[in-house]
Amino acid sequence: MIPGLHLTPIGNNSVLLEPGEGLDPSAPDNYLAELMAFLQEHHADTLIYDLKTVPLIDQVYYNWLIRLYRLCLLANIEMIAVNFCSTAAFALSLSLTESPPFKCALDVESARHGIVVLA
Amino acid sequence: MANNNEQTTSTNRILLKLFMTQIGAISNVIEERGKTIFAKQNILTTEEITDYSLELLELLVNILHADENIDRRGPEYQALRRFFTEFSHQIQVRGGSLEEFVRYTQFLQRVFIEGLESDENLSFKETRDVLLLVATIFNDITMDVFRVYLEEKEHTIQVQQEEIRETSTPITEIWDGVLTLPIIGTLDSARTVAVMEKLLSRIESDRARVVLMDVTGVMAIDSQVSHYLIQMLRAIGLMGAKAILTGIRPEIARALTSLNINLGDVVTRSTLAEGLKETFQYLGITAGAATK
Repeated sequence: MIPGLHLTPIGNNSVLLEPGEGLDPSAPDNYLAELMAFLQEHHADTLIYDLKTVPLIDQVYYNWLIRLYRLCLLANIEMIAVNFCSTAAFALSLSLTESPPFKCALDVESARHGIVVLA
Repeated sequence: MANNNEQTTSTNRILLKLFMTQIGAISNVIEERGKTIFAKQNILTTEEITDYSLELLELLVNILHADENIDRRGPEYQALRRFFTEFSHQIQVRGGSLEEFVRYTQFLQRVFIEGLESDENLSFKETRDVLLLVATIFNDITMDVFRVYLEEKEHTIQVQQEEIRETSTPITEIWDGVLTLPIIGTLDSARTVAVMEKLLSRIESDRARVVLMDVTGVMAIDSQVSHYLIQMLRAIGLMGAKAILTGIRPEIARALTSLNINLGDVVTRSTLAEGLKETFQYLGITAGAATK
């Protein structure tokens, strides 16, 4: 149990991460080690990050996602961001100078079936 | 200064006297003219014209009664200007022309000036002062009428621009989960924002998996426009949908290379039809000729 992160193994070596209200994206170091342990414990090869409850992604939140992506890269885990709110995608695309390194999918089901794209 | 006030008072009184002695005749003349111009074209009813004529004379008398001087910032004067603003707005809304309305106000001015002839006791100076006063009032009125006309025109242009913007970027679902966005004309910051908002909402609501962005109708491209295009493509990708850019004409392609824009990560196809084929392939849909 990691405060602020709700983690659910959903089969096929995939883990669903749903951020909660307690998540502090400005302090990624508080979460990464424990998260890595959880993913390794469940032999995860895919981390599906559900952004359904995130209406806006600012630079701090984006940096948190990038740190998470790098962690997954080290552990040979594919990170897929799903359920981007249109408002969040809109605002983020305006501020990005290069494409995000992680893959995106429409929803959890699409991610599970490998229907993913690079933004 | 006191002398000046006295002169103005005198001018006001002359005009007031003119109104009071000839108000019936003036009222009839302007009402008849109003009917000729506005009632025949069904822009105003005869009752409305009568009401407007009476209200106009009442407002003019109020101004002349109000003070020694005509105060152009006073409530009576503002009420007269407001009257003409609303009157001209109503004429425009009902399809009347600006020219007709200006002619009508010129006619009103002439009626008041002609009334001066009836008073043979007026000196040259008094006549000149009254003429100047009437001219001042009607100049203000004419300017207000033009302002209303321009505001109405600007509003119409704005509404038309909105309509053009709406119709020039129709987002259509051409297959289950496949949206097309033909872009016609030029992309600017405001249009990009509007299109992106609309498109992302559609991806979200339609659960779209592919977006075909067709730029056949884009006439010119510069670094700013290409930047907007890339932003749109990136936003589509963030939503988890695949973006396919189609219809890049040779001139646009040449411009993109000279601008050092790298579309390497973007799936491009020459035509919308090719884009559709790519979409079907991506979605695993096989299209074949119908058999009997």
